[in-house]
Amino acid sequence: MFQFVAEFSPANLSGLIPCPSLGSLILSVLPDSRIRPIRSLGPCASLITSSYSPVFRMQFDNSTAKSQFVETLRWLPYSNINSVIGIDGLPSFSVVPTTFLIPIRIPVGWSSIESYKKEYIIAFPISESFMIAVFRMLDILLPHVFLESVSIPMFIIMGVWGSRQRKIRAAYQFFLYTLLGSVFMLLAILFIFIETGTTDLHILSTTEFSERRQISLWLALLASFSVKVPMVPVHIWLPEAHVEAPTAGSVILAGILSKLGTYGFSRFSIPMFPEATLYFTPLIHTSSVIAIPYTSLTTIRQIDPKKIIAYSSVAHMNFVTIGMFSPNIQGIEGSILLMPSHGLVSSALSLCVGALYDRHKTRLVKYHGGLVSTMPNPSIIFLFFTLANMSLPGTSSFIGEFPILVGAFQRNSLVAALAALGMILSAAYSLWLYNRVVFGNSKTLYKSSDSDRREVLIFLPSISGVIWMGVYPSVFPECMHTSVSNLVQHGKFDQ
Amino acid sequence: MFEHDFSALFPEIFLINATIILLLYGVFISTSKQYDYLPLVRNAGWLGLLSVLITIVLVAAGAPLANPFYNNLMKDNLTYYCQIFLLLSTASTIVMCLDSFKQESLNAFESIVLILFPTRSMLFLISAYDSIAMYLAIEPQSLCFYAIAASKRDSEFSTEAGLKYSISGAFSSGILLFGRSMIYGFTGITNFEELAKILTGYEITLFGAESSGIFMGILFIAVGFLFKITAVPFHMWAPDVYEGSPTPVTAFFSIAPKISILANMLRVSIYSFYDLAWQELFFFCSIASLISGALAAMAQKRVKRLLAYSSIGHVGYLLIGFSCGTIEGIQSLLIGILIYVSMTINAFAIVLALRKTRFEYIADLGALARTNPILAITLSITMFSYAGIPPLAGFRSKFYLFFAALGCGAYLLALIGVVTSVISCFHYIRLVKIMYLDTPKTWILYKPMEPEKSLLLAISFLFISLFFPYPSPLFSVTHKMALSLCYIR
Repeated sequence: MFQFVAEFSPANLSGLIPCPSLGSLILSVLPDSRIRPIRSLGPCASLITSSYSPVFRMQFDNSTAKSQFVETLRWLPYSNINSVIGIDGLPSFSVVPTTFLIPIRIPVGWSSIESYKKEYIIAFPISESFMIAVFRMLDILLPHVFLESVSIPMFIIMGVWGSRQRKIRAAYQFFLYTLLGSVFMLLAILFIFIETGTTDLHILSTTEFSERRQISLWLALLASFSVKVPMVPVHIWLPEAHVEAPTAGSVILAGILSKLGTYGFSRFSIPMFPEATLYFTPLIHTSSVIAIPYTSLTTIRQIDPKKIIAYSSVAHMNFVTIGMFSPNIQGIEGSILLMPSHGLVSSALSLCVGALYDRHKTRLVKYHGGLVSTMPNPSIIFLFFTLANMSLPGTSSFIGEFPILVGAFQRNSLVAALAALGMILSAAYSLWLYNRVVFGNSKTLYKSSDSDRREVLIFLPSISGVIWMGVYPSVFPECMHTSVSNLVQHGKFDQ
Repeated sequence: MFEHDFSALFPEIFLINATIILLLYGVFISTSKQYDYLPLVRNAGWLGLLSVLITIVLVAAGAPLANPFYNNLMKDNLTYYCQIFLLLSTASTIVMCLDSFKQESLNAFESIVLILFPTRSMLFLISAYDSIAMYLAIEPQSLCFYAIAASKRDSEFSTEAGLKYSISGAFSSGILLFGRSMIYGFTGITNFEELAKILTGYEITLFGAESSGIFMGILFIAVGFLFKITAVPFHMWAPDVYEGSPTPVTAFFSIAPKISILANMLRVSIYSFYDLAWQELFFFCSIASLISGALAAMAQKRVKRLLAYSSIGHVGYLLIGFSCGTIEGIQSLLIGILIYVSMTINAFAIVLALRKTRFEYIADLGALARTNPILAITLSITMFSYAGIPPLAGFRSKFYLFFAALGCGAYLLALIGVVTSVISCFHYIRLVKIMYLDTPKTWILYKPMEPEKSLLLAISFLFISLFFPYPSPLFSVTHKMALSLCYIR
């Protein structure tokens, strides 16, 4: 019955994608001087979008691995490239942080923005609709297109509203790193298209490529995804970008953009090239196992809390890749769960640091201290998310990391042991950071105000999400279990 | 028989007559004491625009298939759409120039006449179906270009540019003509169709005893063409000429001749001498243009030089389509030209609109985001599109060119194209960086642009940014053009 309604309602899945963009289109014709309606309209556009996703959640059928709400829009009909929109268990979660993070986060960075206020509001919904499109397209060309499109608004967001002069370097690094990766993916996509004559993901996942070909195509996809994730040799851009971006920009970077890479692995690399996936599992494992202790140790000598958070998200995202490439049900489900969880936690942490920066105008840890006596509310919130970041049982990160370790242990116990090292180290740096910033003597004479109701309220969805996932997680694996087991069986990964 | 010929050529005839009438009108009015020696450039510009628009209507209304003047000209789908497109780009150049000639203190209505005359020869060049007709169409086109490149007599740069352009242009025409005579000498034929009949399946290799003459002929023709479209080993004149000539003139000859010469190159190389000898040369030139276009543009400080090197790089991309020689290759080449031209129209319209002082250096763009925010966003979107970032039109053309390259097995070409597109990204986003991120010491305030130019800018901007959701009309049109080129026999 719900299916029927979904099929004939005008507000179908495709309505989700242009909605934020339409909002910013309306904004762009409003005059600059009327900043109040602009300020409320931007988040409204994305709020409407986020109200779409629970609707689909409710109508989502857990018992099938098929893509649901499938729509085909004819695009280049005679070359057989159409935009197929649909959703199944795998991306169902990644969209939720996308749609929930942005409307809440736009007002956050607002106070520190001085120039181009209207453009600031406009840029976010545009990037949002690109990111939703990546998760929703069941095709290989169009997700790639939108994946790359995100870099234009992000370049502008980072460069224009970033905090320091180093931002230009960071914006360039971000742009060129991601572009270089994604053009190789473009070549791979074109090659696949020429070989098979289609870009439809359903057809491609039933196509068998020869093993040599799989290996080269897989590597080309890796070039793109490993930059986005980020895996270790190409992770340099993320801490730079994270530090230099404005608060809301780093929320997007941590919350959504890094998920696009791991989503790409689960959507493209694993189902299309199962043999190459098995062939390259040791590579991914080695790189991630190097990454986790390395980046965790790197955090210890950083003096900028935002950089610490950035490196810790590199560590967590490498957890995700370990889970993704110990291809069994636990591993993949754990990694899919860790993605939204990390999106909530890490973005909330960078919001906390952003609130700190707005008051003190410095981010060096040396100048902070005794926060608990001046700003008790943020201190509590900061504590909560610090604990969530070190994956305390009862929070969502634990629900993600534990199955990942279980899955990795089944594949290779050494990998699991080394990855578990990351849990210890993450406790070390998180608590140390918290200790340095919040406890101790106050080092500033500046009378800083406690956070007001608005600032506390914007954390509420993240807090409730983290607790919900941590305490009662069964809802989440339920809706992706069928898809994941289909993925695992399709690749014959379970020996 | 001639009646039909003349009716098939009605647009060209109209354009010639309109140009002559415009010339007479301009001469009489601007030298008449009664009207106080009226400066006519804007008036003549509007009349010229009108006549181009009427010509577009005439071309569009005409039958797409004809073979007039004893097979000397050929009208098919390729000609039809290319001519329409050429006229559209000429019209937009005239729109750009309306005010700019005055700004450049070029108060001569002849410059408009000198835009209409080469347009007429480019129309003939697109439809040329015979070696002699082709050469006779190329020459008046280049001749008018030499004249307008040097039209600003009080500027040393302009006269130098005109001189350089005419020498290199005459040299390349000489090479082209020599190639033609070699071919004629060894086959006794000038018509493309007959050449195609003779040369189909002909093994043209350098050391084959009887074919080395034909090979040399092909080589010389190719070099002549590559000179004209500024492909890399033969590009040395382009940056100087682009920079020295008055900006509206630069806009004109970075846009229009590319269309006509590439259309004619398609006719010659794909239809009449389809052979591997071409392909290897184009392959090499494509790689060379891609690399040097990307690397040289990085070091540029002046806007027009940057645009010149970027056009060299884009010619490299277009030659990818040539070196494949498949239907997809031709189609991707045509899509590439269309999108490149629309982006270039946009870029030059902006360069022409910024005209408080002489807008020369890239650094002068600083603070544009604060003084002219809409112009800044338009320019940055154009630059992103040049760089081939999705979801803009430039991505579409590169995507399809790489698709064609991979489809015919030219993996090296696709790889180099991809890497150079990332490298060239660096200098395109440098413009964005200068506009948005830098805080310049001097703020240059520009005069507001006139409405017709902003209309043009809006149209091309919308095309660039909204091409992605609905590309199929352009794809089907270019497919038709490519098919008409290959399967007409």
